[in-house]
Parts: sequence; structure tokens; C-alpha cells
Amino acid sequence: MKKIFAILLLSILVLNGYSQAAVNDTVKEVLEAHEGKLNALDERVLVNEADLAKLNKIKISGYVQTQWEYYQADLVKKNEPTNTFYIRRARVKFTYEPADGVKFVLQPDFSTGNLSLKDAYAVVNLPRLSGWALWAGQFNRPDYEVEFSSGQREVLERSRVIRAIYPGEREIGAKIEYSGTSTPVLFQLMAMNGNFTGSQAKDADSRKDIMARFVYMAKIPSAGIGLDLGVNGYFGGTRAKSNKYVSDSEGVLDSITVGDYLNKRWFGAEARLFADVLGGMAIKTEYISGINSSTSATALKSDPNKTRNFRGYYIYLVKNIGNRNQFVARYDYYDPNTKLSGDAAKSDVSYATWTLAWQYYLNDYIRISLNYEMPRNEKNSTITDVAGTPGVQLKDNTVGVRIQAKF
Amino acid sequence: MKKNKYYVAILMIAILLAGSSFTQETKITVKGSDTMVILAQKWAELYMKTNKSTVIQVTGGGSGVGITALINGTTDICDASRPMKPSEIEKLKARYNTLGVEIPCAKDGVTIFLNEANKVNELTLKQLSDIYTGKIRNWKEVGGDDADIRLYGRENSSGTYAYLRDEVVKADYAASVQSLPGTAAVVNAVKKDVNGIGYGGAAYAVGVKHALVKKDAGSKAYAPTPETIAKNEYPITRYLYMYLRTRPSGETKKYVDWILGPEGQNIVTQVGYFPVR
Repeated sequence: MKKIFAILLLSILVLNGYSQAAVNDTVKEVLEAHEGKLNALDERVLVNEADLAKLNKIKISGYVQTQWEYYQADLVKKNEPTNTFYIRRARVKFTYEPADGVKFVLQPDFSTGNLSLKDAYAVVNLPRLSGWALWAGQFNRPDYEVEFSSGQREVLERSRVIRAIYPGEREIGAKIEYSGTSTPVLFQLMAMNGNFTGSQAKDADSRKDIMARFVYMAKIPSAGIGLDLGVNGYFGGTRAKSNKYVSDSEGVLDSITVGDYLNKRWFGAEARLFADVLGGMAIKTEYISGINSSTSATALKSDPNKTRNFRGYYIYLVKNIGNRNQFVARYDYYDPNTKLSGDAAKSDVSYATWTLAWQYYLNDYIRISLNYEMPRNEKNSTITDVAGTPGVQLKDNTVGVRIQAKF
Repeated sequence: MKKNKYYVAILMIAILLAGSSFTQETKITVKGSDTMVILAQKWAELYMKTNKSTVIQVTGGGSGVGITALINGTTDICDASRPMKPSEIEKLKARYNTLGVEIPCAKDGVTIFLNEANKVNELTLKQLSDIYTGKIRNWKEVGGDDADIRLYGRENSSGTYAYLRDEVVKADYAASVQSLPGTAAVVNAVKKDVNGIGYGGAAYAVGVKHALVKKDAGSKAYAPTPETIAKNEYPITRYLYMYLRTRPSGETKKYVDWILGPEGQNIVTQVGYFPVR
């Protein structure tokens, strides 16, 4: 009996050993098969990650601004509408960053009837010079209100002086910029053609215009106060190609030598105060004064036929109310000819404009702006109202409502 | 009877209002640095235990992601393992007309991870810069074996990435750096790679060797320990920050004050970082 029991026990142990070995083999095979699958998956993930990493280097952003405007009487010609819907801007910005410190940007504008290239530039961080970057291509001129994106700006349009001296905001050229990390300064130096208005691909003269800007950004963190103080300057000229006479600021015709460069030179001072007072608040201002040379039109490709001493400034008061609302008041002034006034100034009419605005940020993507602009013109006989009466204060206020969607 | 109905209705409204006031929750969102995510989660967990009416939601993604969220208004607090860049402050100014509020809440030593089999034990800041810019490509150039150096690092949304680049590398990283999502992934990569080098917060460094770091060839080399970091002896010591859009008020202020208080700072030590107070 004992023998039988021992044989049975032995058989069970042997069989169990065999079956255990068989199970181990099977588990091993399954594990190997899974390991193979995991390795294959690993490889696929690596390939996908590499592809994704390439895609991550491309960023697409943009915004569409749909606007409704209502015009006061003197802005409405006979049989013209008093109000309109239109697409103010429809921009898509493509940014490609192939490596650290290298960036390419392309930004077309698709607004109705106005397909144009806004930005096309490359930015490269200068090696071994921390904070320094070189820009080349078509991009904003170095000025605070010019560089302040229209997608962010608190009122619908820039100040009149900025629109007059920097038409189209952009220029074609190269810029060196220093943005300090330990020292809170910004320095920009740009060489440019100096006559870009949105359509001229090449320079109209051989000399390049220079712009320089320096800003110091002081702050008192404990008080939540920041103060930016800066200066800027424009040093350039426009070549007289065939005009022998140029009208100066006082309207006197000066004879010049064909080929002379007429002055285009101005200086600016800027200040911005930011304060954390029951939410954010800012007062922002810039004053610019100098001499500009141009034709009667804004395009400078044709011969300049006048030089004008001008001055202008703007001042903003911006108050954030909670995270979603913002109240804005702006006063801006532009005198295109400081030497003459009244009837003597002819078409060089000065304007002082009040703009009141309210912004509502519905969410991260949608902003609704209500804007009321009240320009006050200098009275002279070249200004006529809709009825043809000269020398009047025009009724030319504008109400604007804008919905901006960005992505 | 009609009067009674009114009383019942008034009573029910009163109960509902009282109930809603009792159950009113304050939600605080925290987003940003992956280096700080464990610390931020611990803070939130403990704070919520004693402040039942406050819900704190913590997510990582990197300092850059947190700062973008702060600018876009999608987070109340941004955790960042690097100071905000001037360009980011400009964006805050443009949108909120404030400079943001910077609150240093912990100290950290950026640790240089080496594989345990690597012969190299210490590196100067210059050597680190040369390694990460690709000037030094072989371990034998810094006293190790004749083998190519394999570089691991973080994605450019990481504050540690930006901090090391700005304060140590002082130039753009070499294109050969393999970007990994999170310090844990960097540690893991170096653990598996004898010739690997990586960097990250001290709290993550498990299973790899910490390189001793010295300012220059003539200086003493230091390991990232609580003492060396507290005394600023370890050359890659940095602050970890919380950023807010405006000066905090209400429950957010209470939470920030708690973090800077003894309880919050005690958690800093527990997680492996170093207190600021």
C-alpha cells in the first residue's frame, strides 16, 4: 500500500513538474511575443513622437475682427450709407521655430478686398550675446503703439499721429533688438527702406532710414507699480527725384537740387505707468515732434514736394474691471504743420480726438469692443461739412462695435 | 391655510438659500511647472483637508504653459520654476495692465543627473555649458570614458529648461538634446543610458547619480543638499515661484499666506525642496 502511495505521489510530482515546465515555456513564449509587440509599439511611438516634434515647431494663430460702424452726418456723402458691417482684419500667423532662438513668421491678412502680406520675417538670437536678437524682413517699426498688436489694443484704431508717420505700421529692413533679462531695458535699432506703405517691394532711394528706441522699465513690486520710460528717434530722408521746388512748413517754395534728400527726422518720448489698484490700471503716453517730407499723398515712391514740421501725442487711461471688462479713454492730438494754423495751414488741419471704449472679454477667444471716437478738427476754409459750408467743426464722430475672435 | 402655504414657501426658500450658502465652494486653479507639480498637489491636498469649502485644482504642463494660462486668464495661480521673461510681463501688461505678482515659495537646486556607471563625478558651470551647447561631445574631455555624450533635457515649455539655458548654458542648446516630457522621463533616460546626462529638480532624482557642480575649475564642488542650497553654495540654486495677475485677495490670499506659513513651508521640505522662510 505504501509502495502504491509512493508511486502515485512520485507520478503526481513528475507530472506536475512536466506541466509546470510546460506552463513556464508557454508563459515565456507569451512574454516574448508581448515583448516583441511592445518593442514594435515603442518604435512606432518613437516615429510618431519625432513627427509630432516637427509639427510642434509650427504654430498657427490668428484673429478675425468683424466690425459695425455708424457715421455721423459729415462722414456720410450723398447717397452713401450711414453704417456698415465690414471685416477690419482677418489674419493668420504662421510661426515656425526650427531650433532654439530661430523663428520665422509669415502673416497674411485676408480681409475682404484687401489680401495683403503683413509680416514676413526671421528672428535669430545672436549667439553668445544673451538677450540680443537680429530681425530681418517685413515687420512693425519700433514704436510702442505700432508694435502693440491690434488684437490686443484697447481702442479700434491707433492714434492719428502714429497712423500719419508710420503708414501701414510695417517696414522692410533689419533690426537689432536687446531685451534685458537682468537689466530691465529694451533697445531697438532698425535700418529700413523708409517708404513702405504696404505695396512697395523695393526702396525708392539709396539711403536707408534708421530708427532707434530705448526703454527703461522700472518697477516697485511691493506696490504693484511699473513705470516704463523711453525715447525714440527716426533719422531718414526722402530723395527728390525731379522736383526742383519744395514747399516748406510756412508754405514757401524753396528751390533744391534734384537728387537732394529732404529731411525726415523726429524724436519721441514715451511713458507708461502700470498700477495694481483694485485690478490693473495704466496711463500710457507718447509725444513725437519733428520734420517729415512727403508728397501730398501718403505714398512716398513719387517725388517729395513738401517738408512739414509736425507734432503729435496720445494719452491713454485704461482701467481693468475684473478679469473680463476694461474701460478706456484716449486723447490724441496731431498737427501736421506746426508753423501754420487756421486758413493759412490749408489742408494741414490739426485734429484732437477723444476716444472712449469698453472691452468685454467673453472668454479666451472672443472680445467685444464698443468704441466712440470724437475727432475735433482745426477750423479752416478747406474743411467743409456735408452741406458745403466751410470752416466748421465737422460732425464726424464714429460709433464702432467690434467682435474679435482669435485662435 | 393660505397663509400657512406662504410660510412654508418662505421657509423652504430660506432653507435653500442657507443650504446654498453652506455649500458654496471657492475654486482656485493652479497650473504650470512640472518640477513643482508634486509640491503643488501636496499643498492643495493638505489645504483642502482643513478648508473644506475650497477646491484647488492643480495641473502641470510646464512653467511656460502656466504663464500662458495666467495671461489668458485660465488659471488663478501659475507655478513657475523660472522667473517670468520680460516678453511675458509685457503680455500681462498689455492684457491686465499689471506686472503680475511674483511670490518665491520654495528653493531648489537644479540637479545634474549622471548614470551611476559614469566615471565623471563633478563638472564646472563652463563644462556644463559646453556640454549642452555641443562644444564638448565626449566624456573623456571632462575626465570620463572615451564615449559620446548623450544629452537629455526638457521641452521648451519647461521652466527648468529655460532656467538652465539662461543661467548656466547662456546660449541656445545643441540641436542634439533629446527633449523629454517631464523630469521623471529625464531621470529614467539617464538611468538607462551609461553615457547620458540630464537635468531637473532635486525632488525627482532617484536611481541616478548627482554630479557635483563647481563654479569654476578652482572652486569647491558641491552636491545639491539642503545645506548647500540653503547657503546658496550649490551653484545652480534657484527659487520656485507662484505668479498671480493681481495682488491676491479673498481665498486665494488665504491660500498663498498658508503656503508661505509654517505648514506650507514644512511641506516644501517633505517633498524634497527647500523652504524660503
